[in-house]
Amino acid sequence: MFFHIVLERKIQLHPRHFGPHLRDKLIAKVIQEVEGTCSGRHGFVVAVTNVSDVGKGLIRDGTGFVTFPVKYDCVVFRPFRGEILESVVTMVNKMGFFAEAGPVQIFVSNHLIPDDMEFQSGDVPCYATSDGLVKIQKDSEVRLKIVGTRVDVTEIFCIGTIKDDFLGLIGDPTAGG
Amino acid sequence: MAATTTEEEDASELKLGADFEKAKCLMNSEVAVILERKYEQLQQLPDPANQVSQVFEKSLQYVKRFSRYQNPNAVKQVREVLSRNQLAEFEVCVIGNLCPDTLEEAKALVPSLAKRSKSDDDEDGITDEKIEQMLADLATIKKFE
Repeated sequence: MFFHIVLERKIQLHPRHFGPHLRDKLIAKVIQEVEGTCSGRHGFVVAVTNVSDVGKGLIRDGTGFVTFPVKYDCVVFRPFRGEILESVVTMVNKMGFFAEAGPVQIFVSNHLIPDDMEFQSGDVPCYATSDGLVKIQKDSEVRLKIVGTRVDVTEIFCIGTIKDDFLGLIGDPTAGG
Repeated sequence: MAATTTEEEDASELKLGADFEKAKCLMNSEVAVILERKYEQLQQLPDPANQVSQVFEKSLQYVKRFSRYQNPNAVKQVREVLSRNQLAEFEVCVIGNLCPDTLEEAKALVPSLAKRSKSDDDEDGITDEKIEQMLADLATIKKFE
């Protein structure tokens, strides 16, 4: 799920930037430092939307650098256990398949794929039902539930399942119930 | 190295941890509006140093692919309809993202909703009828978008 949250960060600025454009420089530095990063606690920082508050700077002894506490609003993507979301399949193999939902990777093991779907190798490996009506392959859109997250300091990785009601291939005529 | 906080998190029971309990959730369609505007702004800057991050690019592709409502006005209406009922932020966004067609589907996708609507005494304001009405309203918005 995407969230809009307020975060705080201490930004160090070289004294050469002090002048009428100090605030612009700070904003640019915040964006440069945080956008695209990932923390286990707050998830992926997608975009900074606003810098709401710049606190009083503190001169670092000996260097002349100044540290400013900066509060900013940002859009983050943070997956949660139990969350249901839609994703795009990126790779299929006999162990299961990988899918992507925005910046996060999700692995669905073959134990968490319904039993009536079998792995089929070939040019385009896929999981398909015996009648061939439902087929999950690369670029398929799949609705899945996150059953576990592994949170590192700089990365989040998820395990998902499609073995539940209303999960599986999107636009699947036989889904549901 | 799983952090201990993840043990207590469970979106199906609306347990999101201290950092996100009161955070504002965004629907995919809303994120699409925000990111597209930001992307346009970046394109206008002549500075090639403003390369967008991979996270930004992937998120933009994702929300474009999965946003149910393209028109910003429709997105606003959806938010209004969903906020009329006493739903948690997280529930609002799950429904807005996945657009369940039936009451059953909605309850399966949002288990916390099912739990509360079981009692028909209308104590916390959510009944099956209200959910059905809400889904019908969303379908209407989609139709006339």
